[in-house]
Amino acid sequence: MLKMKVCLLGSFGVGKTSLVARYVHSMFADKYHTTVGVKIDKKLLEIEGQEITLMLWDMAGEEDGAPVKMNQVKDASGYLLVADGTRSKTLDVAMSLRQRVEAEIGPRPFLLLVNKADLRDTWEIPESTWGGLTSSGWTILETSAKSGDQVEEAFTLLSSRILKAQADDTESQDADEDDD
Amino acid sequence: MTPNLKTQTKTTINDLFARFDLALFERLPDGLFRPVGQLPDWLAAFFSADNYKAHDLVTEFPILEIFLPEFEIVWTTGSPEQMRTDVWTETTPAGAELYLEAIAAIAEGRPFLGIRSLPQALFTYQQLAHDFELEKEKVERLSRELDIKRREAERATQAKSDFLATMSHEFRTPLNAIIGMADVLALTSLSAEQQKYVDIFQRSGVSLLNLINEILDLSKVEAGHIELERADLDLQDVLARAMEVVEVRTAAKGLWLRQAIAPDVPRYLIGDPNRLRQIIINLLGNAIKFTEQGGLDIKVELDPEQAPDKASPGRLRFSITDTGIGIPEDKLGLIFESFTQADSSTTRKYGGTGLGLTISKQLVELMDGRIWVESQPGVGSTFFFTGAFDVQDDQTVRSPPSAGTEPQTSLEQLESLAAGLRILLVDDSEANRILIIQYLKKIPLVIEVAENGQTGLDLFKVGQYDLVLMDCEMPVMDGYTAVAEIRRFETANAAKATPVLALTAHAFASMKGRGIEAGFTDLLTKPIRRVTLLETLARFGHSSPASVILATSKLPEPAISEPAIRVRQPGPIRIRIEEGMEDVVPGYLEKRRNDIDVYRESLSSSSFDAIQKLAHKMKGTGGGYGFPELTDLGGAMESAAMRSDATALAQYIEEFSQYLENVVLE
Repeated sequence: MLKMKVCLLGSFGVGKTSLVARYVHSMFADKYHTTVGVKIDKKLLEIEGQEITLMLWDMAGEEDGAPVKMNQVKDASGYLLVADGTRSKTLDVAMSLRQRVEAEIGPRPFLLLVNKADLRDTWEIPESTWGGLTSSGWTILETSAKSGDQVEEAFTLLSSRILKAQADDTESQDADEDDD
Repeated sequence: MTPNLKTQTKTTINDLFARFDLALFERLPDGLFRPVGQLPDWLAAFFSADNYKAHDLVTEFPILEIFLPEFEIVWTTGSPEQMRTDVWTETTPAGAELYLEAIAAIAEGRPFLGIRSLPQALFTYQQLAHDFELEKEKVERLSRELDIKRREAERATQAKSDFLATMSHEFRTPLNAIIGMADVLALTSLSAEQQKYVDIFQRSGVSLLNLINEILDLSKVEAGHIELERADLDLQDVLARAMEVVEVRTAAKGLWLRQAIAPDVPRYLIGDPNRLRQIIINLLGNAIKFTEQGGLDIKVELDPEQAPDKASPGRLRFSITDTGIGIPEDKLGLIFESFTQADSSTTRKYGGTGLGLTISKQLVELMDGRIWVESQPGVGSTFFFTGAFDVQDDQTVRSPPSAGTEPQTSLEQLESLAAGLRILLVDDSEANRILIIQYLKKIPLVIEVAENGQTGLDLFKVGQYDLVLMDCEMPVMDGYTAVAEIRRFETANAAKATPVLALTAHAFASMKGRGIEAGFTDLLTKPIRRVTLLETLARFGHSSPASVILATSKLPEPAISEPAIRVRQPGPIRIRIEEGMEDVVPGYLEKRRNDIDVYRESLSSSSFDAIQKLAHKMKGTGGGYGFPELTDLGGAMESAAMRSDATALAQYIEEFSQYLENVVLE
């Protein structure tokens, strides 16, 4: 059984907890409930015959004066940056978090989830923004915890990216050993 | 002592743990964790054994995985003395949320792990702060969206008023020609049948013009573009002038038209006389339309509905009572709405758009008043409106202040006032030039014509004029530039300013400002009625005697690419035959007289080619025989023929014929 720690990071109110609730419990609550500290959930899944336990670290949203605690991303296998399509500044927060996380733990597979796709009519973040990000290697999914749109796909995609990254890692380590 | 202290003494250690929601484990040397005392209920939901491995704790609370290695340092070295984890959230099997933190500490030399549940209240503020922030962002977003929508709406409104301004201009220009030509036509000798058609032609033109004016007016009020004037206002004068406008119609229908102003109403007010008159004329016109017998009464009194303590002598109530068909009760509320009459069949039967009432309502509201109607079908209606005016300090009766308020001068008087004037007309529109020439045909005066500002300026510099009529938008040089040049020329030559009147189809007040700034004396809005033109000539024509001879007035004739038509109004045109030409000139004129019929026939069969050839010859020969006017006319006819402009040609042929009739050889 492979265990992967995946952190959900982003501004407060973007829907991190809702994405986990949708993915793990197939539930959605319209009422906003802020996360205190961190909330950790477990999800079992199977990718290419490999059984995986996903440890989902749903971390309290970043806000002014309360940055995300970087000690908690330690040992993360990958992470999901979550932004809220209806609030453009949450994209800035996601981009800043990505830099801090990479500085803390080095490169890890990650995805950007632009959530609240059910409210796409009122989105502030224009789709034209995606071009620049995808060209610098970002993968962006437009999710809706409310409708479930792209939620399962997001977690599965990240997990398989992590699997692949770990496999590549092992290979290169093997290669290193061969070299010695 | 206090009862509190008593209770406290009986508290067990377990109670203490429970009170602080704390679970305590001792870390045993073998690495196991042993609960101290009884675990609180909330924790018992997660743990039930006697001893736990670190692995079990981490399985239950994965956040400990990060912290346990650091806790080990506390426990083994005692430095730091204690350490705590970040807060985390757990959901109990029952669905309740717990906010937990773990603490590592050494007590009495023994290592302990505490886990405690923090009071929910500690985090309530966080929820509130986030709720507040999200709401705030939502409000900001909505107000931004609203802002965008508002700007879009403003742009649309702007586009609408631009469109209306342009359209009103585009409508007025041809309408000017239509109404004007109808007026001109009415001046010619007509059979009774023709007279009847011309009447319809004039009436329809005027009602179309009124409709355009009303739509424009309404759109301006709706767009907030109308501001009321604050001017001296003579109430009696306003009523008299309003009644004057409709008198012809009441007389034609045999209706009475009476007015009564209550004795306590001050006569001299401050307000917008034109808009007040407009409202009264609208209501009177409306009443006449729906009244077949009886008549109309206008009454003005102090607004009886004012609170007595706040009564103002300038707050008036006007009422216009008719003995007409009346309005059914269920329609009373509708009639002040745009394009609504009590019955849509009304429009067909009585005409009109009902816009007058909508405009009146808007204007009354601008006067801080209200408008309403009381009516009894079959008996009649009374339209009421109130308005607030300031009262002039001086209420002594005085004579009307300006020429504008004098009783209307008769047409004959106006015509005689215009006689002898020298006028320069600068307009690129042929139809308008012809119109003005025709308006003035019967009056002995001199009018010279130029087709653009440059030509007009050239003529102005060498001629002497009592008055200049100048179109604003023209090719080559527009009216604004031309008038500015004229003013510069006058200043340079220390000459008295000649009145220069702008002719424009723009009805907007801003145009007037621009015109006056450029140097125009005043502005005439197209379509120009004959009587308006005559009034203007009478008013301005004698203010600057052209007898002031300009030093440069003997400049050579400017080269003019397009012919400047000189129509010397009527009476004999005396041409001196040059020496040696005595034998040929009479014959030349005779041949030209024969040409008239050829021109007319060619025009009736639309043979523009033939006209063009003939006119071209005349252009080339007229001047040579001593008739520069014929050269000019020939040129004008040639270009009109090239454009297949039958209207203009008819006009030129008429001028040509008149010229030949009036020319006297000396």
